[in-house]
Amino acid sequence: MKAALTPSEVQDPPAQKAARHRRGVREWATFLAFLAPNVLLILAFIYYPLASNIYYSMLDWRLGAASADFVGLKNYLTLFTSPTGLDMWRVTLIFTISTVVISMAIGLLLALVLNRNIPGRTFARTAVFSPYVLSGVGVGMVWNFIFDPQIGLLSHVFAFFGANSPDWYLDKNLALVMVIVVYIWKNLGYCAVVYLAGLQSIPKDLLEAAAIDHAGPVRRFFTISFPLLGPTTFFLIITTILSSMQAFDILRIMTPTGHGTNTIVFELFLQGFGVYQRAGYSAAISVVLFLALFIITTVQMRFVERKVHYA
Amino acid sequence: MSVESRNEANPGAEAGAGNAGIIAGTGAGVARTGADTSGAVAGVSGTTSARGGSGRSGRGPAWREAFTPRHLGETILTGYLPLLIALAVIVLPLVWMVIASFKPPGEIVTLTPTLWPQEPTADNYAAVADRVPLGRILLNSIIVTAVGSLIKVVLAITSAYALVFIKVRFKNIIFLGILVALMVPPEVALLPNYMTISALGGRNTLWGILLPGLGTAFGTFLLRQQFKTLPIDMLEAAELDGAGHWKKLWKIVVPVCAPAIATVALVTIVTEWNSFMWPLVITDTPENMTLPVGLNLLQSVEGQTGSYGYLMAGAVLVIVPVLIVFAALQRHIVSGLTQGAVK
Amino acid sequence: MVNVSLREVSLSYPGTERPAVADVDLEVADSEFLVLVGPSGCGKSTTLRMLAGLEFPTSGSILFDGADVTDVSPTTRDVAMVFQSYALYPHMSVAENMEFSLKNTGVAKDRRRELVAEAAAMLELEDLLGRKPKALSGGQRQRVAMGRAIVRRPQVFLMDEPLSNLDAKLRVQTRAQISALQRKLGVTTVYVTHDQTEAMTMGDRVVVMNEGRIEQAGTPRELYNSPATLFVAAFIGSPTMNLIPATRGADGTAVGAGVSVSLPRDLPESGEDIVLGIRPEDLAVSPGEGTSELELEISLVEELGSDTFVYGTTPEQDPLKLSEKPVVARLSKGGVPRRGERMSVHIDPAQVRVFDARTERLLV
Repeated sequence: MKAALTPSEVQDPPAQKAARHRRGVREWATFLAFLAPNVLLILAFIYYPLASNIYYSMLDWRLGAASADFVGLKNYLTLFTSPTGLDMWRVTLIFTISTVVISMAIGLLLALVLNRNIPGRTFARTAVFSPYVLSGVGVGMVWNFIFDPQIGLLSHVFAFFGANSPDWYLDKNLALVMVIVVYIWKNLGYCAVVYLAGLQSIPKDLLEAAAIDHAGPVRRFFTISFPLLGPTTFFLIITTILSSMQAFDILRIMTPTGHGTNTIVFELFLQGFGVYQRAGYSAAISVVLFLALFIITTVQMRFVERKVHYA
Repeated sequence: MSVESRNEANPGAEAGAGNAGIIAGTGAGVARTGADTSGAVAGVSGTTSARGGSGRSGRGPAWREAFTPRHLGETILTGYLPLLIALAVIVLPLVWMVIASFKPPGEIVTLTPTLWPQEPTADNYAAVADRVPLGRILLNSIIVTAVGSLIKVVLAITSAYALVFIKVRFKNIIFLGILVALMVPPEVALLPNYMTISALGGRNTLWGILLPGLGTAFGTFLLRQQFKTLPIDMLEAAELDGAGHWKKLWKIVVPVCAPAIATVALVTIVTEWNSFMWPLVITDTPENMTLPVGLNLLQSVEGQTGSYGYLMAGAVLVIVPVLIVFAALQRHIVSGLTQGAVK
Repeated sequence: MVNVSLREVSLSYPGTERPAVADVDLEVADSEFLVLVGPSGCGKSTTLRMLAGLEFPTSGSILFDGADVTDVSPTTRDVAMVFQSYALYPHMSVAENMEFSLKNTGVAKDRRRELVAEAAAMLELEDLLGRKPKALSGGQRQRVAMGRAIVRRPQVFLMDEPLSNLDAKLRVQTRAQISALQRKLGVTTVYVTHDQTEAMTMGDRVVVMNEGRIEQAGTPRELYNSPATLFVAAFIGSPTMNLIPATRGADGTAVGAGVSVSLPRDLPESGEDIVLGIRPEDLAVSPGEGTSELELEISLVEELGSDTFVYGTTPEQDPLKLSEKPVVARLSKGGVPRRGERMSVHIDPAQVRVFDARTERLLV
């Protein structure tokens, strides 16, 4: 049988190499055709902005102006030392910590209730989650109406108890409280649903074993459920910090020009596109924001990786 | 029973009331029941492969225990009471919005509001249309949402396919690049993108609103995870059956992963519809605005009091469509938005 | 139909020391049923995947009827494969699964329906054509996988352990069905399995592979009677051949543990250390002419009804040492010894296979 074939019919190594090369080129061509549009868009509208922000951030530059002065790191200095800059950090810190802590605490309580085996909870879960998917603009408008000191729903509640509604919009601190409340209202369901999923992944026999060992319901929660929710809690801390730092829609609609509510992203917008049009300073905020979020996300990814390994 | 008394002492408090009671009751609930645990989380784990689709079997006698005379009080106090408070806080503002949008101004600017409109009217909606080009704005929003989502989903599908199923070297480096892009919040790119799109003449155009957001790191990442769970045998079988990459993608991968793709599509649609910051920056003529930006304009041209009827009508227009979609398809949307939380 | 040749085919994965497949030379005749068998990791599946075009060899070439297809992609190679997992398309009905390849090659609709109906009839799938794979039993899925392969009448069939997900009884049935189907269609077939019984019962020829290399290729009878290497001797047959280490004496005899056998005169040169291989059925209870005797202390008796397998140790063997395998004898019906008893078995020198212990190859 071997004799039936002449050697010439078998490809020699160079020809084989060429065939292999052609195949590789074809695969690459398909790969690029499938991926290139997305990659080019990402390069143009995510990576290029990242780089150009660094350049912009060193300019004293009014948005729209033809010329700008190079000022080195002055914008960063302003961001970390000037009263405006420090106030932004203070507001961001208060806003982030209070929204994260309160959403997670109430979210956990809601999850515990939703985890009970009672009819109607599927509906309740859907309802609780629903604000999370709604337009921040619409939500902000609705709550503007509720917080209106003269005719808002809340003012009627205060009137019922014989009190006057505080003027949420005039007082800087109250304005911050107001947007925190609305932000929590919108994002609470996310925490509740994620905690609910965490609770349901706890093996039932663990809790039963603890019950047999005479652990009461409260003790069971603190010695078993809560520790086992550790990864969920960590995940939520990271994701809610990330989204709180990016809050914008509600802040812009409820306090259009910022009034004690200038968290980092809102300040980035107001400085660049508000009355000041300080584009260079806005770019500096962008750079710092990116670094902060990048570090937080990297920490999360490392943790998740470890979790996967030991799971 | 000290738990119950503590709860009764706090009847009017907000959702967080009676902490200990809720915890105690739920702990007991978890230990006792559980036949139905998979049903409640099905929405969350819809596309996460391991626990997907476990359905709501066993919703049988397990919950009845909650209604036996012995447990009834506890069920109400630690189950329904907090749930009702939570639901009231969540739902009431939205109900108030819908009702107010049908009230004439006299019923809004009043010290004695009624729940139902005394003289229901659609005038508020007409008033919105008077102040901003509503038809145009709605159409813009629909076009931006539809075209943007379609392009994004298609790009996510082809990108994820390329990253998973085409064997070329260095593709992991490209994936890493996409992963880093995932960490870049859109706000960071606001100013440079404004410069780019302005230079291209894209201000106050639909393509200017669409273009910067079309590259999709989120969808690519999510679908890549999903595609990786497909058995490689199946793709090889298709290859031997004479299907090239294009056919493998559209005839095998897409139909098999339809639920995950639907999830990505829904999340994208909702995000596009709600998108505010970028359209706000890139448009300033009412004819080219999307709905959220138009509403922002509406609010700024109206004085704060008296115009709430119009503003609530506007809010209804932007909120209710999403609520309807969400109510119908919540499983997919919740699972997409809580990705990564459930392994 | 075609004949298939592999010429010095090797495949090394980057970063591994030992090639997955090394210098495989193989001719598969037109309409032959060839089985590749070996332990896991022996390279049999990799070889099959190279025939399919799912892997490309690092060197060497693959020819179908003399035409080099080494670098032809699986899409255009015109081979069909049945996967161990069946790899059915979950979103398509049985008919659509079978039709998919025909659609891809542009077969007209009427013709497609005809071909699917024909294949379905052959595999008794007519009533299942509208069902989705998840509504089928394991055996039915297996038949759909077969159907998907035969419907397109490929040049070559490749099967990768297609029976390993079936239960034992169904496996035996399906084995016969596949063999019959292959004979009927006359398509050149390469079949991969780790199960030597499957290999022996199905293959026209069987190729035993180990560590990426071919140990021996031959008909089942050749493999059984003259295993080319100790590996094949130990792999083929159930129970396997008794392998007794021995020393080759100058007087033409071999002396091993408890036994002395006279060697054939024409035995080729070899080292002093040899291994005697004796099939269990060649150990006779009654002495014959020129036979040598082997004393066994019986440690285990397996009654299979038709046969009895007796496991025993020679006096020189330490029965507690696991590395020393007991000697197995197959006795036909008759008096059955019991555990603990001693018995003598007799060896016919003509039935003894002799291996060189160093090269591990068959001497005679």
